[in-house]
Amino acid sequence: MKMNLLLGYSVACLLGASAVAAAAEPVSKKAVLETYATIAQAKYEDSLTAAVTLQKAVGALIATPSADTLTAARAAWLAARVPYQQTEVYRFGNAIVDDWEGKVNAWPLDEGLIDYVDASYGGPSDENEYAALNVVANPTFTLSGKEIDATAITPELLSETLHEADGIEANVATGYHAIEFLLWGQDLNGTDHGAGERAWTDYAKGEACTNGHCDRRGAYLTAATDLLVSDLGWMAKQWQPGGDARAAVLADENAGIVTIVTGMGSLSYGEQAGERMRLGLMLNDPEEEHDCFSDNTHNSHYYDGLGIRNAYVGEYVRIDGSRVSGPSLSDLVAAADKDLDAELTGKLNTTMLKLGAIKSAAESGFSYDQMLARGNKGGEALIMGGVNALVDQTKSIERVVSALNLHDIEFEGSDSLDNPTAVFE
Amino acid sequence: MWKYCLVLFCLLSSPVLAGEADIAAIIPKVVHQHILPGYERLAATTATLADVVPASCGRDPEAVKGAYNKAFDAWMMVSHLRFGPSEQKNRAFALAFWPDTRGFTPKTLASLLRDDDPVIHDAEKFRTVSIAARGFYPMEFLLYDDAFTGNPAANRCALLTVMAKDMAENAAAILKDWQGGYAELMIKADNDTYREPEEAVRQLYTALTTGLQFTAQTRLGRPMGSYSKPRPSRAEAWRSGRSLRHVLLSLEANRQLASLLSEEDADVDRGFDRAIRIVEGIDDPSFAGVATVQGRVRLEALQGAITLTNDLLAEYLAPRLGITAGFNALDGD
Repeated sequence: MKMNLLLGYSVACLLGASAVAAAAEPVSKKAVLETYATIAQAKYEDSLTAAVTLQKAVGALIATPSADTLTAARAAWLAARVPYQQTEVYRFGNAIVDDWEGKVNAWPLDEGLIDYVDASYGGPSDENEYAALNVVANPTFTLSGKEIDATAITPELLSETLHEADGIEANVATGYHAIEFLLWGQDLNGTDHGAGERAWTDYAKGEACTNGHCDRRGAYLTAATDLLVSDLGWMAKQWQPGGDARAAVLADENAGIVTIVTGMGSLSYGEQAGERMRLGLMLNDPEEEHDCFSDNTHNSHYYDGLGIRNAYVGEYVRIDGSRVSGPSLSDLVAAADKDLDAELTGKLNTTMLKLGAIKSAAESGFSYDQMLARGNKGGEALIMGGVNALVDQTKSIERVVSALNLHDIEFEGSDSLDNPTAVFE
Repeated sequence: MWKYCLVLFCLLSSPVLAGEADIAAIIPKVVHQHILPGYERLAATTATLADVVPASCGRDPEAVKGAYNKAFDAWMMVSHLRFGPSEQKNRAFALAFWPDTRGFTPKTLASLLRDDDPVIHDAEKFRTVSIAARGFYPMEFLLYDDAFTGNPAANRCALLTVMAKDMAENAAAILKDWQGGYAELMIKADNDTYREPEEAVRQLYTALTTGLQFTAQTRLGRPMGSYSKPRPSRAEAWRSGRSLRHVLLSLEANRQLASLLSEEDADVDRGFDRAIRIVEGIDDPSFAGVATVQGRVRLEALQGAITLTNDLLAEYLAPRLGITAGFNALDGD
């Protein structure tokens, strides 16, 4: 205890000394944290706006099911992912986001919990006995020994009863990926080109309804979308002036800076480079794609990477084209170690080029699931290019901790570092 | 005035408190006494396995299992060293893919055998196979699971042979890279991989704490599940009865690394000693007993002791080395 206290003093001292050395430096940690919080607010507000657009498109699909209204709803979902993926850098380090994010972006999922699946999906598994529950087709069922009445599919049923049912994380009943499944259906093309091919008639009325229970499917999609809107609205509020997330970041300047660094490093290394990209490649498994139903994984990776860069350089371009920016972590690092700032900025830019190469290949017809195929050298090189760049930038992110003398802060208050769950879970 | 006071205080206090260890001297010790011997053992035992499998498969299953268990033991002594040569070309992943939360391993093995996939007969092409079918964990299925041993497929020995060869090549490649330059990069720490000794020691410290975290959370946490729903079939290598042994071996490996990093600090060692004594009191090799109250309580105590040891390292060893842990693979969700 005493030792920690003394260490605290000695670091305060080192910081004081470096402030003297760089007296002309106008950037304060507080200003950097304000930028970080303001960008978070803008990103979650944009995510909310885009989710409301999605909600309207889903409303139109359910009211007048057609190929056009389904296509419009899919387009709205894809657009909604752009701002949201850029928020992911806030997950690690900010306990309030980490505790909440499972509601909106949980993945991977056993989609058979929600709706019909292909025979190749299999039934209940050793890991998850509700993997093929199919709530859309079953108004009543037993869950962990309890009789459940699901005749009315409501946001509460999804969030309180079904989500993570039986304590299994793969029972994802809410959020972007549940909605994605309901809009696209399973992608049955394996590592060949092509996304899910759900027909609009899965939402048709009367006799035109395919695969049964179209009204319940529509109710599920509506409930999940309503829930997404309310969850995003809640998070946007937390980052407004006076909100809890903003207050937590600003409470302690050094801990706040550590929060930024933690978010950047954890997303770069364990989450994106490791679980989301490298693991799927090593398993040659398209189910390991982050946006697997819609084949949007290339964008999901790209905007995650952009979010990490946003957090460092302190700028974000909103969905209306306006720019939010301010004093940044980059400024702070530059004041302490100009070379390190140039190094990290360069690496973040390299990552964007590498993730951009995956994105442009996918957009020109070589989809992400094809890249995962066994023995596909081109795909492997594209994905490993992104992985290596993310791993490389993590090294420089770790150097920031030393450059800013943040050693004794310990990564406290960070759920992802204090109580991380295993990467493969 | 305030700043001057602080500066003075800092000058007086920090050399004693933070970074007091002679890290430049610690690194070569870790490399020569811990890392290189560990990979030498792994290379030797997997090479033996690659010889024994084609010679004894189908004729002398005990000989195959014996060689397999020796090699797996050797892996456990280096399984926490997830950086540098082991991360190149997915070598460590291809040696040890676990946990397999979505059941890829049995599925992939079954389809390779059923289709008599040409990669079974081509060591070069076998390297393109999913990691779910490469390394120690899928080999365990082929050697111990009834589904594969009960009425063995005609090509099972061919698959085991190519797997063993792949493992030996991976282990040899890791060792070769360590001997052929990586050890020097780490010891010299004047290069872009390790710009200064602090970065090398941070890598080692991160490997240590990540290893302990993995043992507590995953090796123990997965089979423990929740109180109302224990999950013994999620234990690591339960088919071969190695679950508890893996906890013991990984603790011993981490204990050695911690001892070198802490310059044989007695307090650090006591934490490991406590955890290892708990392991030695448990008679439940595959964690089947986690479904009983007593079995669970023992694993909880063990998990607590390991977590406590890790906390001690963060509070005591890290500042002594003048570092904080780096990012690790468990940081995701």
